[in-house]
Amino acid sequence: MPLVYPNMQLSEVVEENTSLIPVINRFGIRLGLGDKTVKEVCDEHAIDIGFLLTVINTFLNEEYFPEKKLKTFHTSQIIDYLTKTNMYYLRFQLPNIERHLNSFISMSTPGNTTLNLIGKFFSSFRKELMARIEKDGKEWFPYCLSLSTKLSEFQEAGPTNPLTLGAEEEEAEDPIEALLYDLKSIIVRHISGDYSENLCYAVLFSISSLEKDIKQHNRIRYRILTPMVAAIEKLDR
Amino acid sequence: MMHRNRRIAIILSDTLQSIGLQSLLTDYFPPVEISKLPVADLLTPAGNDHFNHYFTTPDIYTAHLDYFLPRRSKTILLFNCGEPASAPSSATHFLTLQASQETILEQLQAYLPEDIPSQFADEGNKELSSREIDVLQQVVKGITNKEIADKLNISLNTVLTHRKNITAKLGIKTLSGLTFYAIINGIISGDEIEL
Repeated sequence: MPLVYPNMQLSEVVEENTSLIPVINRFGIRLGLGDKTVKEVCDEHAIDIGFLLTVINTFLNEEYFPEKKLKTFHTSQIIDYLTKTNMYYLRFQLPNIERHLNSFISMSTPGNTTLNLIGKFFSSFRKELMARIEKDGKEWFPYCLSLSTKLSEFQEAGPTNPLTLGAEEEEAEDPIEALLYDLKSIIVRHISGDYSENLCYAVLFSISSLEKDIKQHNRIRYRILTPMVAAIEKLDR
Repeated sequence: MMHRNRRIAIILSDTLQSIGLQSLLTDYFPPVEISKLPVADLLTPAGNDHFNHYFTTPDIYTAHLDYFLPRRSKTILLFNCGEPASAPSSATHFLTLQASQETILEQLQAYLPEDIPSQFADEGNKELSSREIDVLQQVVKGITNKEIADKLNISLNTVLTHRKNITAKLGIKTLSGLTFYAIINGIISGDEIEL
């Protein structure tokens, strides 16, 4: 997929990739884009265009992940973006899957136990994701921000060496991603009995779109934020 | 996880030709693992024997008969349709450079079997063994590995191995997923357990 550049028309980019709509919404950009270029839209909303483009491009292209560039952005920018993705999961994507799932279960033959199990599976996934989001908001993000404030005080006090980020450790599989993967795979492989095909597709579609979003969130989280924080922690000592 | 890629060697001096071929193979015949071999590598007839297919031109083929003759059944020659006479008689597989993309894909399809030949072909048994079922039953009840080991009278390491094999066989990674699988397959009853 070609990368997005400042002089491209944002409307054309979005027409080609409608999955970007929630992503640009997180930056405060709404539809009704006219024929403005990405740069014009960013100027209008006072958005850091480098950051927006990096987020868009990593979202569209799984192979594209410019770690060096991402690490030059401010911790608060990254946390702000991650917080907005979390809010989006809570307010829209989880309720969306739930809505589809509920009508899927109620419109299919009553007593199809497989479907009830799928419903329970989803509830346990939702619990896990909501717990992580709560912890992010109450503990992890504030902690990261406080560290980054310390870092700027440190830097104001005198010239410092640039942060050296340790090599990232091979992270264990993210439990949230693993649950989503299993949820999808179980429906695809093991669903049986009578059920509504159309609603089943709606459920899978909404799960896949959450999965894609969470994958990008996790890449930023584990490959950028975590090593950044670890590097500042070392400075502190 | 075993890799079951087609391993393909492209031996062409024309860069655009080799990029084009690579992109067709990658798009239409995945999974492939493509190596572009320099012609100089052909001077030693031994070695490089782990490829499933070799793509080259009649010129290179004729210049390196020692190399290609033993591999002729795996070699596919790219030739210009204007000069069929130049095709070496020992070669049997051809791609026509000027043909339409559709024809070229058909030619490729005829030469690349659908089943990827591989000495690693690992179509292992996906069914759980009865011991694995025992372990799965305990796992989904939330019993710890140590307790499972004691209960089934096996070592902790054996429990871990069983768990790894269960996940590999079923392609399910999470406890919720395993529980779901166990219930719908009657390995445990839904009443025994909260998902």
